[in-house]
Amino acid sequence: MRLLLLAVVATPLLAFWPTNGQHPDQWEKHVRKACESRRFGIRLAAAKRVAEAGAEAVPAIQAYAKSKGRNALPASLIDAIADSDTTSPETESLLQNWAEDRDFFWRASAMRGLALRAVGLPKGSPDNQAQTAARIALFEKYREDPAWKMRTGARLGLALVAADDDAARAVFALPEADPRARVRLARLYLEHGRTPPLQPLIDALADQRTFMDIPWGPRLGLEASKALNAWLGADFPKLVGGDYAKSIAAILAAAKKKSGQELTVPPTKTDPAVEAIGGIELASCKFGDQFVQWLADGTLKFGIDGGRTAKLPSEPWQKLLQQQTALALKKNSGVVVCDKMQVVLIDPKTRVNIAPESLPAEATEWLKRLVLTLEEANEAGLATDLRRGLGQFERR
Amino acid sequence: MLRATLTFLLLSSIGETACSDPEPVGFPVLAGFEYKEGMTLPKEVTDLDERVVEIRGFMRREFAGSGPVNSFMLINDACGCNGTPMMNEIVFCTLPEDVTMDILPGVVTVTGKLYVGEEKEDGDVILIYAMDADTVTAN
Repeated sequence: MRLLLLAVVATPLLAFWPTNGQHPDQWEKHVRKACESRRFGIRLAAAKRVAEAGAEAVPAIQAYAKSKGRNALPASLIDAIADSDTTSPETESLLQNWAEDRDFFWRASAMRGLALRAVGLPKGSPDNQAQTAARIALFEKYREDPAWKMRTGARLGLALVAADDDAARAVFALPEADPRARVRLARLYLEHGRTPPLQPLIDALADQRTFMDIPWGPRLGLEASKALNAWLGADFPKLVGGDYAKSIAAILAAAKKKSGQELTVPPTKTDPAVEAIGGIELASCKFGDQFVQWLADGTLKFGIDGGRTAKLPSEPWQKLLQQQTALALKKNSGVVVCDKMQVVLIDPKTRVNIAPESLPAEATEWLKRLVLTLEEANEAGLATDLRRGLGQFERR
Repeated sequence: MLRATLTFLLLSSIGETACSDPEPVGFPVLAGFEYKEGMTLPKEVTDLDERVVEIRGFMRREFAGSGPVNSFMLINDACGCNGTPMMNEIVFCTLPEDVTMDILPGVVTVTGKLYVGEEKEDGDVILIYAMDADTVTAN
């Protein structure tokens, strides 16, 4: 009798029990571990487990975000969910909410997750078509986002849902000033089993450029090389140790043969002979990254590749230069989670990281004067961008 | 900065490895393959097990915070551009006991004994590269 009663009571409960045998409380535990363990490896493993659970773990993620704040969720958890195979509506809704929250640190990862799921968008019924159209509208909305990873995710989505090759090619033809974005879009598309225009990846192989000694060019080269290696498989040539030119030529030949694309030998890109004497990097998940370097003669270079320049008038620049020690900060300031500012000077040797709202007043004032001088040099657009970027680092 | 300099001097004066020639190793080797849990690691990385090496990279905290650390992650990415690093893109470095230092921005060179192989905790792989770091120098 008791057994029968138990069966009657338990049956409806079992219908809602998670299919993989995890009690809902367990997901709370795994989410907490994914967010709070002091060991990075443990956080990663827990994040993977939570991500693979799909819809089952979503309430626990939402509960954690509600109690601790959305930005208490670490990038590793959002990346794990974005890159997982789970396609439950609950997971996609979570990703969409994150992607559309401009204040969420990892919105670009969420956008990538939506893009990677774009090929599975349903077609057929009017409801399904509406869902697909809404997702495409979302990608369109963010395809020019100031944050390069965000717009790359949106463009990836557009390329993956493109009706035909021409439509996909149009996405790759969109103007893109940031070399990191060109490589990333091609790499992600390639990883998805489709062949993008490969020239950005080939070009990256010969990129040796740095920004204030940060070797972003070689890092892009490694990203491109790994992507091409995975795509070419057994056809990836055995590289000629130490001889970049021969190695690149061999990869180029293999890529040409497999893709049928017209690809050209990339010119080696190196830093210009005249070195910058100072610079700042503003890394912002919300407003996009900004890179500014200045040369001794008052030339300012903008962009990670210094692709845009402006010349400051001599007199105000010389005054600024004399007061440049305002930037000679002795130590890092604030706790960096996502957005950060790096200040670099050659003399006196300085390299510090600054968290939002943590830039000391003297340094803030110097940078404000730099913006003002830029404005007076008829570079209002550059000045406005820089002022907006600097605003979040000013100490409150 | 002073603390970093002092730490460097301290670290340089301890540890026998500071006197030997560490082998330069780059992330193109350490991270140059697609890592899958349980895989046989490539010979070029397993050959580095228990060797004294020097690796250039970027210091990153294991957990967000501030102040000096006794352990840190060495990665190949200054800006978080690549998102969450893969397991084979991280060297988990531990300084000698009781030694701490600030996280240095920019490229650093870390020397010490490298350990290669999956280390598990509760069945999960939590690292494949670990290093007993003897010196950390800003480049």
